[in-house]
Amino acid sequence: MSGTGTGRTAANRVLLALTGLALLAGGGLVLVGGLDLERRWDLALPSWWPLAEPDRPVLSDADRTRWRDEDWWWPAVWSGLGLLVLLCLWWLVSQLRERRVGRVRVRVPGDDDAVVWLRAGALEDALERQALTVEGVDGARATLHRGRPVPRLRLTLTLAAHAVPAAVVARLHREQLAEARDSAGLPALPTEVRLRGDRHPAARVE
Amino acid sequence: MTDPAEQGPEKAGPLTKDEPAHGVPPERDAPARHGPAAEHAPIASPRFWSARRVPSAVVALLLLAAAGLLLYDTVAVEAADRRAGRWRRELADQLAARQLDDAWVLAVAAVAVLAGLLLLCLALTPGRRAVLPMAAPGPDLRAGLDRRAAALALRDGALRVAGVRAVRVKVGRRRARMRADVHFRDVAEVREELENVLADDIAGLGLVRPPRVSLTLREVNGA
Repeated sequence: MSGTGTGRTAANRVLLALTGLALLAGGGLVLVGGLDLERRWDLALPSWWPLAEPDRPVLSDADRTRWRDEDWWWPAVWSGLGLLVLLCLWWLVSQLRERRVGRVRVRVPGDDDAVVWLRAGALEDALERQALTVEGVDGARATLHRGRPVPRLRLTLTLAAHAVPAAVVARLHREQLAEARDSAGLPALPTEVRLRGDRHPAARVE
Repeated sequence: MTDPAEQGPEKAGPLTKDEPAHGVPPERDAPARHGPAAEHAPIASPRFWSARRVPSAVVALLLLAAAGLLLYDTVAVEAADRRAGRWRRELADQLAARQLDDAWVLAVAAVAVLAGLLLLCLALTPGRRAVLPMAAPGPDLRAGLDRRAAALALRDGALRVAGVRAVRVKVGRRRARMRADVHFRDVAEVREELENVLADDIAGLGLVRPPRVSLTLREVNGA
């Protein structure tokens, strides 16, 4: 999954897949029954198969109100709908939330008990400045995102004309990221780098 | 193309000579601790996976509206002894009146099937097609190159070849297409030189799966 926001990516994809399966199953059932595919394609559907006859109503009044007088009916419907509402609310809100970190815990050499917090913005600024020192990098944007056990860095770099992408990444890894990790006292700094190109005029050699 | 998982470390070799080979971690337990590497080990593709925020927000909003409306209306009817909303009575009447082979019912079902397939595709495919995965020099680093950036790099490289006047490059995920105008030089000569330059430049992109380049040269006369 994506380097940052991994949990959300997985959750989104599972929920999208479940919704998709539900739509596929519901629509498919109606199509199989409505087009009378059992007879046309000579299928042997099991006896419990719902919506098998094309001339039956989608949902008859009798079916809809079958359990209405049971004691458990409304509590069951309401708790089901309530859970769905809560799940959707959480799902929606988690899309809107920025998963940036506000501060980063920094280790102090020689003192394991010391708790020092560094403002994430300060670290991001420093990371951007460092990335700009790499040859071939014209622009840099660093953001720190929540992660376990250490925050994850997302770095978007704009390449200069004639930059060699592989060399930029190798250098960044060897020097800038290692240095940033060490100077911030982080045990690790999982990083996702995205290299973009800025449309620049073609420089031609005659 | 062959399996990128097998190809990845091998291709990364020449670009990261001074780095320890990524494919063979020194300690056996190392990959388990490093998030990205561990997550990608079982997946054959090192692609960047989209978080699918927009489709998720849309689906969540629609489901929320539908479930919330139904919940509100049923509670209002049962608890406050009101009449059911007109939309709910209308819906119930329609569902009871229309048969399964009704054109509207079939159309709605077909749309539901298509929407379901779309959501499944969104859930299962990586997305972020504009980002080409690069060979990572270390377990804690993942890098991706925009297709447009790759195209610009190839274009700039090609323009350094003498006799090349104008270049148009399109980089796909597997194939790149380069069209160049040649003037004042023999086309075959330029092609040979351009192919050498391109081979270097493609390697310099550092991609896990370097695209195959198709090169089209056109001779133009005059300035």
